[in-house]
Amino acid sequence: MQTDNQKNEKTKELSFNEFKNYKSEADFVAFKTVTEKTREIAVRNGKPDDLREFNDSGLLVEVMINGHMGYGATSEVSPEGIRYAFQKAKDMTKAAAKIPVFKFDQSIRPPSTGRYETPTEQKLDQLSISEVYDFLKQCTSKIKISDQIITATADAMLIDCEQNYLSSTGADFRQNFNIVVNSMEATAREGSETQTRSLHGGRGNCLQTGAEYFKAPSALKNALKACDEIAQDAIDLLTAEDCPSEVCDLILAPDQMLLQIHESIGHPLELDRILGDERNFAGWSFVQPQDFGSLHYGSPKMNVVFDPTVSNQLASYKFDEAGNPSEKKYLIHNGILKAGLGSLESQMRSKISGVANSRSSSWNRAPIDRMANINLEGGDLTLDEMISQVERGVIMFSNRSWSIDDYRRKFQFGCEYARLIENGKITKILKNPNYRGVTVPFWNSLAATTKSDTVETYGSPYCGKGEPSQIIRVGHSSPFALFKDIEVFGGG
Amino acid sequence: MSTNLRDYLKKYSEGLFNSLKSSEDVSLNLHSEDSDFIRFNESKVRQNTSVSQHELSMVYKSAQRQYTSTTSLTLDLEKDLQFALSKLAEIREQLPKTDVNPKYSEMQNNGVSEVYKKSDRSSTADLIQTIHSTFSDTDMAGLWCSGPIRQASVNSKGQFHFFENDSFFFDYSLYNGPRAAKGFYAETNWDAKIFDSQAQQTKNTLSLLSKPQVKVKPGAYRSYLAPMAVAELMGMFYWRALSRSQYEQGFAPLKKLNLKEKLFSKEFSLIENNLLGLDSHFNSIGEKVPDQIPVIENGELKNFLISTATAKEYNLVSNQAESSEILRSPEIKPGQLDEKNILKTLDQGLYLSNLHYINWSDPQTARITGMTRFACFWVEKGEIVGPIQDLRFDDTLYNIWGSSLLGLTKNQQIFTSTSTYNRREKGGMKVPGALLSQFNFTL
Repeated sequence: MQTDNQKNEKTKELSFNEFKNYKSEADFVAFKTVTEKTREIAVRNGKPDDLREFNDSGLLVEVMINGHMGYGATSEVSPEGIRYAFQKAKDMTKAAAKIPVFKFDQSIRPPSTGRYETPTEQKLDQLSISEVYDFLKQCTSKIKISDQIITATADAMLIDCEQNYLSSTGADFRQNFNIVVNSMEATAREGSETQTRSLHGGRGNCLQTGAEYFKAPSALKNALKACDEIAQDAIDLLTAEDCPSEVCDLILAPDQMLLQIHESIGHPLELDRILGDERNFAGWSFVQPQDFGSLHYGSPKMNVVFDPTVSNQLASYKFDEAGNPSEKKYLIHNGILKAGLGSLESQMRSKISGVANSRSSSWNRAPIDRMANINLEGGDLTLDEMISQVERGVIMFSNRSWSIDDYRRKFQFGCEYARLIENGKITKILKNPNYRGVTVPFWNSLAATTKSDTVETYGSPYCGKGEPSQIIRVGHSSPFALFKDIEVFGGG
Repeated sequence: MSTNLRDYLKKYSEGLFNSLKSSEDVSLNLHSEDSDFIRFNESKVRQNTSVSQHELSMVYKSAQRQYTSTTSLTLDLEKDLQFALSKLAEIREQLPKTDVNPKYSEMQNNGVSEVYKKSDRSSTADLIQTIHSTFSDTDMAGLWCSGPIRQASVNSKGQFHFFENDSFFFDYSLYNGPRAAKGFYAETNWDAKIFDSQAQQTKNTLSLLSKPQVKVKPGAYRSYLAPMAVAELMGMFYWRALSRSQYEQGFAPLKKLNLKEKLFSKEFSLIENNLLGLDSHFNSIGEKVPDQIPVIENGELKNFLISTATAKEYNLVSNQAESSEILRSPEIKPGQLDEKNILKTLDQGLYLSNLHYINWSDPQTARITGMTRFACFWVEKGEIVGPIQDLRFDDTLYNIWGSSLLGLTKNQQIFTSTSTYNRREKGGMKVPGALLSQFNFTL
């Protein structure tokens, strides 16, 4: 019998043995293998909803001909399959190299060597399906605190991914990721009113970690406590007032800030968007090349970093997929735009300072400019101090809805749960809270952030972009943030 | 790829099914593609990627329990089978430790069929040059996508369905600075004359955008949604709204429509039309899909999409929907408006060619928000005044397809799916344009 690990090793060994036959067949050649096992366990109302796994495995061939980089990809990891993929990549790249957007040199693929591994106490492959199922089943039982709860769900994605990269200029690195994405959700109904409350909004609760996520002594106890809270929130929302429509102060919790950072900072700063690659699909950007170094993106309280070096955050790594070593970098410092989210390719094209963010969803897609961990740094207030500064406002939790234009200016976001703030104190529960704004004025209205010990870490496993399209995992951490004079409104 | 997938699947399934015990059943669902993706920017090639991708989902059923294990295939039969057998052993050990699945249904033999469709076109390498030449006088960004997609569903009860469709699309937009016009070309066979004609139409639209921009304040405006904008709105029907399972679980934007507390306009009829031929004739578990399912008829909800799993769980009748219960090939029936005279019919208001990034802003009331995109114009006295700055809308499906709907165009457009997340999707939709008495803009 062949185990998952044996399959990984065979894929890598076969590909890399074949590499020597091709490494001199173009100006530059690289082989990247990806083997990824994703287990998804979903429990609804104490019963199996979905139990599945995906054992994905394949090879991406990169070739450079006359300065143009092209790609061939195959799941047929055999000598014949690799030969076909390489020849296809070479022929197509030769044709495309006659009309390239840009002629690169080999400096876009540094000869990096090394290894990265998610720090864990116990690897995810030590966790069985039935162990996770039992954990989640207990969670759904806990959510069912009353007959008003019509649906209780708990699910987990366990991802074990290995990337290997070998290039004709000497790159040779391996990265292993262990990832857990865990969601809990309570839907309550009374009469014609239905409300849903989740653990940090949809799939926001995700990080690099091992089996300890489920096996640590306090893991289940903490999860059950969270389940109890979201169930009570869902029931409370049934009788809550709608969020009022007015202009007032707005405090966003970290599990909504993740989305605010993602959509209105991350995407507009991607250099391939600014260069126009994404115009036909995800969109362009309001940010212009000349804005770097001068644009007052936000208030002086705004400090945003690109940082794939944070331990256990979802998009942490040692090298991007072009071999560029990762490092922390300020994108926005004291409110001023400093750097873009651009790989070595985009940096060469745009001559704008960038980061190590050349990433792809898997072996079957070419790397493009992506976010990794994009984090807002903490400030100087406690949450109580922040609330006490608000005469009238709303504090919103957990993302429910998101929409922004293709230049990343006009946005409208919705949350699951909110509380009214009156005269410096939290008062009523509010349902269907939404707010809208325009990116730069919104961030310039940032009045305060809470201290770094209040920073919470979330992310998304589903950031979509690219033609052909790709989803990728991104991490976002943030404190609570106070914005002045924002248009808020409710449902109906 | 030199391997014949059909023959490979026959041998693979034989090998795997022979290892099953009498209490077990397995179905094998194949997705396979050999795709060329050419990404353009500035009318030149940004990235070219050729992909051979084969995935097989093994659905294991035994003792009222079910587990799905999907694996990338190397097409080395012995190696792939050995891996499948190792997975089977793991599932046999783990699955009995879980509970009975309320959606469990016994596996059925849904018959045998094979369908092959072939597209006629030049090589991708040649078409790269053609596309570049056609748009060398403008700034074009877009994606060429071509090659065969295969789907198969085989099970241990004797079922064998195989579908192969060789297709292409070119999805692109043209730019004059920040102003843009959208184009889309997809046919069964490449036709240079049609391609050139469509490219010229898109260039003509772009030239209309050179007029001075009109700033439109937030408010409610009479609006015409061109078919591509209607196609974007259709996305909300894909997004859980028609799923019976989601409805039962509490996500029910169309609850009032279902309870007949509210109706859409009598002008509005939506059918799931598998006769469009945009998708396979069987679903992902091999059930033959109905030719047509009336979903909303003259403004009344007639059917949710109900998978066999949902039917089992809630004691309903399945209409062979996919397990995700999303539309495969929907069609909005045409109306009486003549698109050629649409500016005159609109008279004064907004001509919206595209919408973008739509999401629920209050699912309970079917309220949605999104943006205008690409070539959108302010119209007065039946004439285009100029392009608008993009606007955010926030309105309900009950208004858009109900009280605000003045009519639909006679002509419909077909949009084949351009979704390429992780893998190419089949399917598509056929929709007309729509005239609204008012459409609410907020930002």
